[in-house]
Amino acid sequence: MTHYEFTYPSVLNSECSMLRDLVGVLDEHSVTGFPKHSILVVISEAFTNALLHGNRLDPNKKIKIVIEINKSEMIADIIDEGQGGLRKIRKRPPSHQWAEGGRGIGIIGHYASSVDFAQTERGGLRVTIKFARRDKREYKKA
Amino acid sequence: MEIVMREEGAATILNLKGRLDLASGSGLKDEVKALLSKERTLLHLNLGEVDFINSSGLGVLVSIMKEVRLHKGRLTLSNLATYVEEIFEITQLSHIFEIYKTEAEALDSYESVKAE
Repeated sequence: MTHYEFTYPSVLNSECSMLRDLVGVLDEHSVTGFPKHSILVVISEAFTNALLHGNRLDPNKKIKIVIEINKSEMIADIIDEGQGGLRKIRKRPPSHQWAEGGRGIGIIGHYASSVDFAQTERGGLRVTIKFARRDKREYKKA
Repeated sequence: MEIVMREEGAATILNLKGRLDLASGSGLKDEVKALLSKERTLLHLNLGEVDFINSSGLGVLVSIMKEVRLHKGRLTLSNLATYVEEIFEITQLSHIFEIYKTEAEALDSYESVKAE
């Protein structure tokens, strides 16, 4: 497994920096097409959750992303410094048709192989997401 | 996100380029609000060059749709990349948006509504 760690302040522009860093990792490991797009979308969803609901855009709080990647899978941890994140995730109501938010967890669930939520020692949220490197569509074709 | 606007009769076409997410979405909302305040209420968004959208971007589009409906207008979308189309399907937003394969098809639909 190759290991990467990135840390970002909780400001809106950090999403752009995070996506740029993530594209760099994926390009380095030749992840392209649907798998690349799926990973970018899923991690951006978890990152946005950490930014808005975890750290509440407090620039003094950080979001850490830890990535482990090899030829068969990628595991990403997205860790915030908020309070009571796990409770919030569990209580989040499902999105209704005209809601402007609340679709992120569904998107993560659709693309990721697995997703786990855990509370950190300091009360923040750690989201662990696993991806198979091979796209589901490629399995269907084989 | 880059936004290029042009008018085709009563409709205003916005060609979007780049990422539609939390950071870029507010610019698009502001552009649409400005158009609605000038009574340009028939809006078409060409997403052909949108290479990334997440739930925050979708939220922006839902918000725009609600604003357009409040102004008794119409919002159409076209040229969704396969990735983007899939996100609309997963979230079932494909049922509430009027989505066309091409911009020409969308504009034809405005013409046919006018002719009826």
